[in-house]
Amino acid sequence: MKTGIAIFVAAFVALGASWCGFVLAPALQLGGAKQTVILQTTDNWPLQRTGDATLGLQVYRAYGCAACHTEQVRQTGVASEVNLTGLGNRKAEDFSAFAKSLFVLPELAGVTNAFAASLNGWNGELPKTLFTTTDVELASALAERLKAVGVKCETRLVATGSDIARGWGSRQSVAVDYLYDQPVQLGSMRAGPDLANIGVRVPDANLHLNHLYAPKSVTPNSTMPSFKFLFEVRKIGAAPSADALNLPKEFAAAPGFEIVPKPEAKQLAAYLLSLKANVPLYEAPFTPVK
Amino acid sequence: MSDEKKSCSVSSAGEPVSERSTTPMWIIVTTLILFFIGGIYFDRHSGWFDAKVYAPYSSAETLEAYQPKSGEAALLARGKKNYEAVCGTCHGPDGLGKPGQAPPLAGSEWVTAKGFNRLAHIPLMGLAGSISVAGKDWNMNMAAMGAALPDEDLAAVLSYIRSSWGNKASSVAGDDIKQIRSKMPAGAQPVTHDMLMQMPE
Amino acid sequence: MNPNENKSCCTNAIDASLRVPLLALFGGAAVWLVVGLVLGLIAGIKFHAPEFLGGCPLLTYGRLAPAANDAVLYGFCIPAALGVLLWIFARLSQNQLALPLVPVVAANLWHLGVFIGTAGILLGGSSGHTWLEYPRAAAVILFAAFLLIAASAAATFGWRREQTLYPSHWFLFAALLWFPWIYSTANLFLNSNQSPRGVVQPIIGWWFANNLVFVWLALVGVGIAFYFLPKIAGRSLASYGQALFGFLALIFFGSWCGIPQGAPVPAWLPTVSSIAAVLTLLPLLSILIVTVKTTFGANVSCNDGSFCFIRIGIMSFIASGILYISAACPQYSRILEFTWFGPAQTQLQLFGFAAMILFGAIYELLPSVMDKPLPFPKFAKLHFWFGLAGVVLLVVPLAISGVVQGEKLADAHIAFADANAATLKFLHISATGQLFILIGALLFAANIFAMTIQWKLGVAKTVITYIKSPLETAEVKS
Repeated sequence: MKTGIAIFVAAFVALGASWCGFVLAPALQLGGAKQTVILQTTDNWPLQRTGDATLGLQVYRAYGCAACHTEQVRQTGVASEVNLTGLGNRKAEDFSAFAKSLFVLPELAGVTNAFAASLNGWNGELPKTLFTTTDVELASALAERLKAVGVKCETRLVATGSDIARGWGSRQSVAVDYLYDQPVQLGSMRAGPDLANIGVRVPDANLHLNHLYAPKSVTPNSTMPSFKFLFEVRKIGAAPSADALNLPKEFAAAPGFEIVPKPEAKQLAAYLLSLKANVPLYEAPFTPVK
Repeated sequence: MSDEKKSCSVSSAGEPVSERSTTPMWIIVTTLILFFIGGIYFDRHSGWFDAKVYAPYSSAETLEAYQPKSGEAALLARGKKNYEAVCGTCHGPDGLGKPGQAPPLAGSEWVTAKGFNRLAHIPLMGLAGSISVAGKDWNMNMAAMGAALPDEDLAAVLSYIRSSWGNKASSVAGDDIKQIRSKMPAGAQPVTHDMLMQMPE
Repeated sequence: MNPNENKSCCTNAIDASLRVPLLALFGGAAVWLVVGLVLGLIAGIKFHAPEFLGGCPLLTYGRLAPAANDAVLYGFCIPAALGVLLWIFARLSQNQLALPLVPVVAANLWHLGVFIGTAGILLGGSSGHTWLEYPRAAAVILFAAFLLIAASAAATFGWRREQTLYPSHWFLFAALLWFPWIYSTANLFLNSNQSPRGVVQPIIGWWFANNLVFVWLALVGVGIAFYFLPKIAGRSLASYGQALFGFLALIFFGSWCGIPQGAPVPAWLPTVSSIAAVLTLLPLLSILIVTVKTTFGANVSCNDGSFCFIRIGIMSFIASGILYISAACPQYSRILEFTWFGPAQTQLQLFGFAAMILFGAIYELLPSVMDKPLPFPKFAKLHFWFGLAGVVLLVVPLAISGVVQGEKLADAHIAFADANAATLKFLHISATGQLFILIGALLFAANIFAMTIQWKLGVAKTVITYIKSPLETAEVKS
């Protein structure tokens, strides 16, 4: 390149192109997003946070919780499960042989083998997952076949992936989940567990407060620092405060003293309780457990 | 090492120079090949810029194929269609009703009652006389708007209104409507509030 | 210093014109490097002793980690790079620095901005976006300071006596445009009252982080390396065409990387980033080819000097680029995302690549700018070994721990606490690496401060001489 102008133009075009692609285009496509509805209902999703939970997001931001925690669930696939919910008139021991007899066609050999494998050592407990496949048509065809002979079964759509298997969510996080977050705290590093659905896993505010005050009281070998400065240790007044933390002996306050959360701690706990995203959406469908 | 000479040519001033040569062809060709492969990858994985397609779904069609179709969704979709055609003009597409025309269905205790027997009789036979809905008194005349609907469609409509707009109540099956119809007296008069209260829920 | 009629062409005069701006930029940069490394070390220690300095909300890990990273990037890498850029532009233009006071003002503004930013993060005012945590006031100051330096650099370029352009010009000139655009966009979208709703925020955040930490550092690092490597080796830069391809491909493909594979965004975004990442292998290859052809077989012994620093820097760039690109492949990112692998790659980019190249460049140019040898030449050699050992000890265990952590997290039967515990022994070693890098940085700072003090004493002496003998015509060294 022989002139300064040429360099400038090249850099301008290159950066301009990527600006259009990754700043302008997403802003146009996703910036005007509105609430959507939960799959198979008319309920809106997501709902705005209120009160302490909104302030809690700012506490989360100010203490840099996103340095160790993520708020996004990933999914690597989706599968249809055929679940057995009722045996009809048969006994559990007979069921395996019976199921084999249903699918005699050679192309369904894989199915009978799969049934046999899943029923191996089955103790008769219901519901029981008989067959998992990514082929939705096959799953519903199997379910119809079983229903036709009086067996009660259902098909369920489930999300698959290590985050899902770990119980961190029932489906992956999608754009609309973050509609009302200001700022969005996705996080990039999991030194601590994912928090996208922590409000579902730990619906108890007191447990969150205990964990913030003394992480080791909840997780023995936790590397999370304690946030003692969000709490106040004070002398018990006329009666113990209703907010006082209830900690195991080695973490509790000295006798005559109680540990009371400051407003920031309560806001943070309220925010954590509001982190729930286990609803099916069009872009991330699954069959919710009733 | 800095040069003490006063000359301004680059090389004699001790500044680096570069060999003149052109870009080798092999790297251009490799770039083009990678572009091509990238294009194929894009076609397979990007969902073609659709805002609803997220990995692992590879396209909008795939995502649509995984949407639940049978059972609830179909019933509600059908119910919504029939509702908007038959009931929506008076009760409103949002179920809020219109003063002087029709009471609201959203939040109505008649709609969300545990049993659907009383509710089902209203579109099947019509309703006359005063009735209290969600704390307000209504005194209108409703024709038997659901009498002409087949069992499955009326069941779908009732399921739809029982699970929309914040209402959370169970669905109604076509067989249930069939049974109710078979027990209905002939020469139907519209029901009244008192008649409804005499029925089982 | 020789008084000379043709001053503008004399390299001594060129270098002298850069004295104050470079001292201002490099001095502050050295301070921020040490501050950033100390904060990072405390953060690293907290993984083994979570209660270390635990009572102070200012030193909680969530504030230390971003403050440390930003101090190294904004406090050290950017001003040091701008200083070297100004010197390279002046030398290549065969002209003194244009608008010489402007970079001095800008340097002080910049360091003030970094100070406000760091204090802002530690006091809880972080914006919440990675690499963009500085509060609004600091961001505005940094932006203004950069524009001032860019103005001086552009003027130096515009008034050049030597018209032929050299490959370093492309990289460095593009860098002058790149930063203001990405920084202003990111701050206007994310750090203002009109933030876009929802997931658009992290998308812009990822675009910004990629364009700053990967592309911008690559532009300045490679631009600086392509200047010094041939100069020290006494050869010409091999293959102009290859370098041109490397430059164009880096800016056109590299700017589209950055969206992580598992992100909660429509599929087209991570797919485009993946494709761009694979394409970015090509400019990496070009830059490697140019470096190898220029330096290998040259009659330069490494000798712990600048040449070593810069060559290690380019090798680290290639390594860090490969790590970055591999993390963009879906099958690897499934394991590596959200683990220590990401920070390992970032630390390699910052300390292995950017810092090494900048150290080499500064050790090479500062003696000629100050017209004095390095006060502690042994420190420079020691710095190289501490720095190299530090980078290896920091990055390699961290990367391995990321892989271990990722594999364990991928197996849902392994409890999270166990996966986390498996990383701790690697973090021990990484903390040692951080310590070594800190020692190297202190050695570097010692040289810079000693030179600054020498210069100040020199100025003071000249002033005193001038005051004492008013009848003599003495030129005040500025």
